[in-house]
Amino acid sequence: MNKVFNNKFYEIMKNSISAFLIAGLLLFLPFNAEAQMQTPAPEQSEPIALTGGTIHTISGDVIENGTILFEDGIITAIGTDVTLPDGTNEKDVTGMHIYPGLIDGWSQMGIYEIGAVNMTTDINEQGPVNPNAMVERAFNPESRWIGVARSAGVLTSITTPGGGLISGQSAAMAMDGWAWDQMTVKAGVGMIVNWPNPNNAENYTEQLQKLRDTFADARAYKNARSAMESGNAPHHDFDSRWNAMLPVFSGDIPVVVNAHEVRQIQDAITWAEEEDVKLIILGGRDSHLVTEHLKEKNIPVVITEVLASPNRAWEAYDARYALPSKLYDAGVEFAIAGSSSAPYANRLPLEAGAAAAFGLPEDVAVKTLTLYPARIFGLSDRIGALETGMDATLIIANGNPIEYATQIKQVYIQGRESDMKDMHRQFYEKYREKVDQWSSEN
Amino acid sequence: MNRSRYRTRVHSIFKSVLALFLFLLIVPANAFSQAQTSPVDGMKDNTPGVHAFTNATIITSPGNQISNGTLVIRDGVVEAVGRRVSVPADARVWDMEGKTLYPGFIDAHTNVGMKDPRTELDRGSQSWNPHLRAHLTAEGEFETEDDGSAALRKSGFTNALSVPPLGIFRGQAAVMNLADGAVADRTVKTGVAQSVALDRDWTFGFTYPTSSIGTIALIRQTLYDAEWHYNAHQTYNNNPSGLQRPESNAMLAALSDAVRGVQPILFEADSDEEILRAMRITDEFDITPWLRGNGHEYKLLDVLSARNVPLILPLIFPDKPEIDTPEDALNESLADLRHWYLAPENPARLADAGIDFSLTTHGLENKSHFLQNLRTAVELGLDKETALAALTVNPAELFGINNTHGTLETGKKANILVADGDIFENGTRIIDVWVEGSHFSIHREDDKDVRGGWQISSTDGSIDGELTVEETRPGRLGGTITINGNEIDLASASVHDQSRRFRADFSGEELGLSGSVRLTASMTDDRMIGWAEMAGQDRIQWSANRTSQAAEDEEREHTPRERTVELADLRPGMEYGREALPPQPRHVLVRNATIWTMGPDGILENADLLVSEGKVAEVGQNISAPRRATVIDAEGKHVTPGLIDAHLHSGVDGVNEVGNAIVPEVRLGDVLNINNIWMYRQLAGGLTTAHVMHGSANPIGGQNVHIKMRWGALSDDLKIDGAPRTVKFALGENPKRVGTDRYPETRMGVEQLIADRFSNARDYEARWKAWEENQEGIPPRRDLRLEAIVDILNEDILVQSHSYRQDEILMLMRLAEDYDFTIKAFHHGVEAYKVAPELAEHGAGAVVWSDWGGFKIEAYDNTNYNARLLHEAGVKTSLHSDNSQIAARMNWEAAKMVRVGVDPEVAMSMITSATAELLGIDDKVGSLEPGKDADFVIWSGDPLSTFTKAEQTWIDGRKYFDLEEDAALREAIEKERAQLIELIMEEKND
Repeated sequence: MNKVFNNKFYEIMKNSISAFLIAGLLLFLPFNAEAQMQTPAPEQSEPIALTGGTIHTISGDVIENGTILFEDGIITAIGTDVTLPDGTNEKDVTGMHIYPGLIDGWSQMGIYEIGAVNMTTDINEQGPVNPNAMVERAFNPESRWIGVARSAGVLTSITTPGGGLISGQSAAMAMDGWAWDQMTVKAGVGMIVNWPNPNNAENYTEQLQKLRDTFADARAYKNARSAMESGNAPHHDFDSRWNAMLPVFSGDIPVVVNAHEVRQIQDAITWAEEEDVKLIILGGRDSHLVTEHLKEKNIPVVITEVLASPNRAWEAYDARYALPSKLYDAGVEFAIAGSSSAPYANRLPLEAGAAAAFGLPEDVAVKTLTLYPARIFGLSDRIGALETGMDATLIIANGNPIEYATQIKQVYIQGRESDMKDMHRQFYEKYREKVDQWSSEN
Repeated sequence: MNRSRYRTRVHSIFKSVLALFLFLLIVPANAFSQAQTSPVDGMKDNTPGVHAFTNATIITSPGNQISNGTLVIRDGVVEAVGRRVSVPADARVWDMEGKTLYPGFIDAHTNVGMKDPRTELDRGSQSWNPHLRAHLTAEGEFETEDDGSAALRKSGFTNALSVPPLGIFRGQAAVMNLADGAVADRTVKTGVAQSVALDRDWTFGFTYPTSSIGTIALIRQTLYDAEWHYNAHQTYNNNPSGLQRPESNAMLAALSDAVRGVQPILFEADSDEEILRAMRITDEFDITPWLRGNGHEYKLLDVLSARNVPLILPLIFPDKPEIDTPEDALNESLADLRHWYLAPENPARLADAGIDFSLTTHGLENKSHFLQNLRTAVELGLDKETALAALTVNPAELFGINNTHGTLETGKKANILVADGDIFENGTRIIDVWVEGSHFSIHREDDKDVRGGWQISSTDGSIDGELTVEETRPGRLGGTITINGNEIDLASASVHDQSRRFRADFSGEELGLSGSVRLTASMTDDRMIGWAEMAGQDRIQWSANRTSQAAEDEEREHTPRERTVELADLRPGMEYGREALPPQPRHVLVRNATIWTMGPDGILENADLLVSEGKVAEVGQNISAPRRATVIDAEGKHVTPGLIDAHLHSGVDGVNEVGNAIVPEVRLGDVLNINNIWMYRQLAGGLTTAHVMHGSANPIGGQNVHIKMRWGALSDDLKIDGAPRTVKFALGENPKRVGTDRYPETRMGVEQLIADRFSNARDYEARWKAWEENQEGIPPRRDLRLEAIVDILNEDILVQSHSYRQDEILMLMRLAEDYDFTIKAFHHGVEAYKVAPELAEHGAGAVVWSDWGGFKIEAYDNTNYNARLLHEAGVKTSLHSDNSQIAARMNWEAAKMVRVGVDPEVAMSMITSATAELLGIDDKVGSLEPGKDADFVIWSGDPLSTFTKAEQTWIDGRKYFDLEEDAALREAIEKERAQLIELIMEEKND
């Protein structure tokens, strides 16, 4: 017995030691890098006006040769005839295009650093039911991928936990800041549910039952607590998990159901109807087959990965590229997101670009990354468009951000002028110096 | 419900048990043969072996029938056959009125007697590799207990080829008869063929080879080794003086005949691609191939008719696809739907194409399905005579036993199938088979059938009444007993003991008893005598007389397979497959386009491209169209060379051979598979060429293959003729984390292992040079692994190395420099930018991702500026996908380079001209210059724009993809799927 125990103990120790070593290594990595780290921008201290550019308000008109003025992080004026207050820092952006910052509707930004190194990922909490897991509280502001996403115009990520049946709550995070509290645009923007896989009938039934039971338990808790509070029942102890579900029942947090197949989507719709919860479909590969019912119930879809191939051999090669245009034609509300991988958040604009190549109108394609995700996740009072009173979270680019050739020159996040020199650029500059030294020596 | 299968099952429940019993009774009378050298135990059996079958319809051989004839056999041999044959005085006479006699069937491929093969070969002279078992023989390994003969006899087989079932070189097959008795006496012919599998099985765990690529490499090496072993021993035996004694290896010695073409090699081909693999091996060696097929042969009619290779054909017909719900149907591929429909036509299609074959039960989990499948094949057009030949004379001739087997002619072995009608028609039953004179009863016509009505009378009258027995569901009996007007359900009813004993229980409640009543009886056709055990009371005796027969078995009706869907022959046989290669117009002129020549002419506005006979003829302005040229107006469109992906893993069966750390002998070109929907999708994205690569599990991996996306061609025709050989190396994390005890486990070990093999290869090369000088004695053994490394060192094989970190990139360059050769390109090279000057100086190229990184430690320092910086440093730089989906949109990968500041033309070169250079195929593809292959793409606009898509993709001057044709194909596919699904629904409802 002892021998087995000892061996096992030894294994555990060995694993912990290597985990420590890896963690240590990671701690040191940023310090070892000779490149500069990106420094979060200071709060906006003076009114800033961008003049001479083309302003794509998204919710309204395109304003040629316009001016956008923002103060204390908030847009205070947009138009062709804007009076600038004294002390305004006026920046000429003639020839440039101004767009609201892009929103990544499905992301692991801040909770994923290096895929194959477990200790650097904080995506999947233990066990199937974790409604109380709140992603913003584990958000790593030092992630190298934040700056990389920012350079592509992705200024807000809906950082989303994964795994299990109920993964936890996603949050809208700004891509600049010193720490997570500053970077949280809005916490609790979605309760993530991973819809079970219908291809294993037995498991499907079992998992659906588990989901129903979980919601029933949470509802029972809600009733017990309110009965307690109104003095109609004795004390009922606090339950972290079920307490976290209360905003779902009050309609303050939508349920974001990860569902791709037609059965999953249909079953999620009827389930949400029975549970009387607000539903968002995440994924939605087969959502073009369910458009009528999505529309009928005003259920939006966050399409994940347009730059992808069909799942079934017989489907058209462009089935995924053309899915957004099908939903658009059918009148379903939707946003476009990517693969959720943090290092690849910078590909987000190109996902909408592919949709545009395959039938989605160009202006709508931009909306799927701005206005639409802002509406779906309840952020449209602050981001997703350029309007007076909204956050000055915007992009200055030499073209449409979903076009490959376009370069993002500068971004502002809540009026703060972000450092654009991300790790990709820093590595380039450092080793460009090596090339230069080498060629001058040889 | 498949009615005939249902019937078969009913039949077997009622009748087969009895057959077995009778067989046991009858056999002694027919003298179990004993090996002639064995002593006799007990009484010597001298039962006469002379039988005359009279009044029979006798099919003596395919196409030859005698009506009302007599067949006489004596001691296992046909003595006489004919209409006017007199019955010998010593014969037992069998009246065969209404019966048809066929030559016994020969199953051309079985594992009969091979149920529990030895896995360990731990004695004597062996191969180093457990998959190499060529020295095993079927007769030597044969186990008679539960050998599978009985099941085969039930389908009319009297002989079978027994094939050893394990490993790659599996051993030597023997023809066995399917009687019972000693192996020595049942062995008809030994050493018939050497069985060779084209993929490994997992019986031997994680040993080399672990993949189909490794399997084929091992087959190749083993054949060379056998050749060497044979020659070395010849040389040594002629004059051993002064020579080192060559190893004496029983496994290799057993291949001496096979490797010289004397003994056939029976390739076990489990897919259409494996058939082609077997053919390619055949082309490399002087061997005599046979094929054991798989049911997909109808996809290769052209190849098989041209090849004329003996074919052993199974009747594997897939089950109906699962389409219980519309969602299930949605997930069903057209490939599977089509194969379900077409597989039963396979034998007829082969026969119509003039391809001979022998049939086998191979692949049928339940051997009793064979006859039904055979009849389905006949129903779908297989000629009965051809079918009979495939079961008799064809295998007899193939196995070289046609002097003794395959027909019912005088002098042949008495292998006879007795049926109650035409064996190829539904409803016909096999009554007996005779195996070399031994009788086996299959179906006893006097079996008892309890179903029907009976009148019971009992000694005390307590259970007098009516008994009705029926089949409640397949194989289950039930019924009622009516006593004093009380109809009581039988709780159970069954027939036992060779269908002579009836048993049933029913509740005694209605009769005022507290428990149940148990009936048992012995029966004849119309009478039962038995007793009843009354609950808590005495037993009483009862008897019953039949009052009615069972209702006629309506399940005998047979619904023929519907043939209502017209399916074109497609290659590959799946969605988007083609009926033929696209035509190659003599001349094609593309006009008024923006042409990215990717050659010295740069990008030409408003220009024309002239293609003649599959090659680029001219690029320029105002080219006049040759007569009858196909002219395409491409105003407003862009034309680029076909895109090239330098690093892809799709379209092959097996990517990594992990059984050894050093495997340059394996070749991806051996395992191409055209049943690959990605190829069509990649064409749709403008990809025309790909470098399909080995995986990254090995410091020195396998040889890669350059292919063109010739969708609709055979896998043989995908390869680019004249492309150089390339090999995959892999550095860093991947090769060191395979398994737990495989060397290497550190980057140090990776370096040392590669260096060690480089030295071994130099030594090997020196040994050959020394031998070649005087060519005396025994030549060195040809070692394909070291030979490949010699070629690497001599730059006849170009190194394409997987890498991440700068240190390992630098290491391999320095190592190559030590051995005086150049690394052609580093792939992935996430940190290649850190050693850009060193790469430029060494002359290595870089093949990198546009924007991958972060997924593991060695990929953490990625930058999207990687390709840009490499290019700026003077390194020849290409992009790659390493991903089937990304390969379908490489223009967008190049477009990402524009975003980080790379000039658009340079970005385009990274998926065309520069890629071709790094792959060594720039003399053929990569630019639109006169003389190069006419591989080009017509784009809706700027190929580096978000908003652009490929409209046409051309390879060799043939249009392989066209947006409009794609739209038409989608409709056709929808329609075909709908028709097939409808048909399955109809058959389900039958």
